Amino acid sequence: MTRAKPRNREEPSRHARLNLDRGAALRLAAGFAAGLAFWFAFSAPYERLLAAAAGGLIDAFESPAVTRLRASGGEIRVDRTDFPPASPRPGLPASDLHFNFVLLAALFALGRHPLSPRPFGRFWIAAALLFGIHVIALVFQVEGLYATRLGDWSGAHYGALARNFWAGGFHFYLVAGRFAAPFVLWWALGREEETSQPLRPRSRRR
Amino acid sequence: MKIDADARSAARRRSIGFLARFCLLLVVFYFLVAWHPVNDAVIVPFTAAIARVSGGVLGLLGENVAVAGTEIRSSRFSVQIENGCNGVETALLFGSAVLAFPAPWKRRLIGLALGFAAIQLINLVRVVSLFWIGAHRPALFSASHTVLWQSAVVLCGVLLFLLWASKEQRRPAPAAAGGAPAATGGKPRDPGETA
Repeated sequence: MTRAKPRNREEPSRHARLNLDRGAALRLAAGFAAGLAFWFAFSAPYERLLAAAAGGLIDAFESPAVTRLRASGGEIRVDRTDFPPASPRPGLPASDLHFNFVLLAALFALGRHPLSPRPFGRFWIAAALLFGIHVIALVFQVEGLYATRLGDWSGAHYGALARNFWAGGFHFYLVAGRFAAPFVLWWALGREEETSQPLRPRSRRR
Repeated sequence: MKIDADARSAARRRSIGFLARFCLLLVVFYFLVAWHPVNDAVIVPFTAAIARVSGGVLGLLGENVAVAGTEIRSSRFSVQIENGCNGVETALLFGSAVLAFPAPWKRRLIGLALGFAAIQLINLVRVVSLFWIGAHRPALFSASHTVLWQSAVVLCGVLLFLLWASKEQRRPAPAAAGGAPAATGGKPRDPGETA
């Protein structure tokens, strides 16, 4: 009798199933187009919501609460009540933050029945989580702006560690996080559908 | 059924393990490419090479362009290729996913090499087409640059990973594998089956 060798890695074939076929490719393209159309249609109100949520979060930790964020013309305008009235208000490009919604929509469309209640519900849960990520990214962006781009004021109010934390955190989001977030959300929530469906008897055809 | 519940629980654990490894690798790779010496010695020259190749392709397409460093210029339009436009971020995502996925190292390295080449090819199409759009349809440049192409390239990276991973899944399991019994007996998985 021989003893089976202990496995030193996971068995690939027992990993969650991935199935890419022509149907999946068509659904992906349709999901991409639908996500894009939705994104274009609702970007402006979404940016207002994002500015309100991130502004509220910054205010909650700011003493005194002076930051005011406003979304207009595809930008998030950063205003502070202690800015001199004549000084220009910085504007942050908003679409860079949240265009990854399109990726999320495309990935969730890969499933076999993306519009049936369970996967569709999970898509909106993922979209809500993505909104949370967008809010946090915007907070990092604004704090990064305060920490690095307001001249002497930045140096006086933010130390080296804080500067690296806020600016580096937002840079991570720009380079890797914004692309990884939809993938991670889909892998955790969207693909779950693929593995949790009950086994169905399959008819054999000759 | 207990076996079914156990299998689902095991699948969930593997899935979480994959995500944890993926996120960790992504952070490590990010720090690597964001580190100034690596950025200056590898990323910037690599981006300049992309600019030269793109300039060459644009020349073949009849555009009269000049390339200086990471910038492509013509009399109508000029563009600076920066991080985010060099395909490195998609390669980071793809590389982290491939390395996090359970597969033999040789297969992972082959996947990495082929995937990186494919991503760069797609990115070349992106840079060339964006330059053309900027020169001939400037009104469409911003949306094409930020949303369309960026999403499309990342989506291609994800799809390349899924293609590679689905191929890896169909490979027979090691014959000497111990531990939990294999649901498919090591045979290629039927597309209709659940994990």
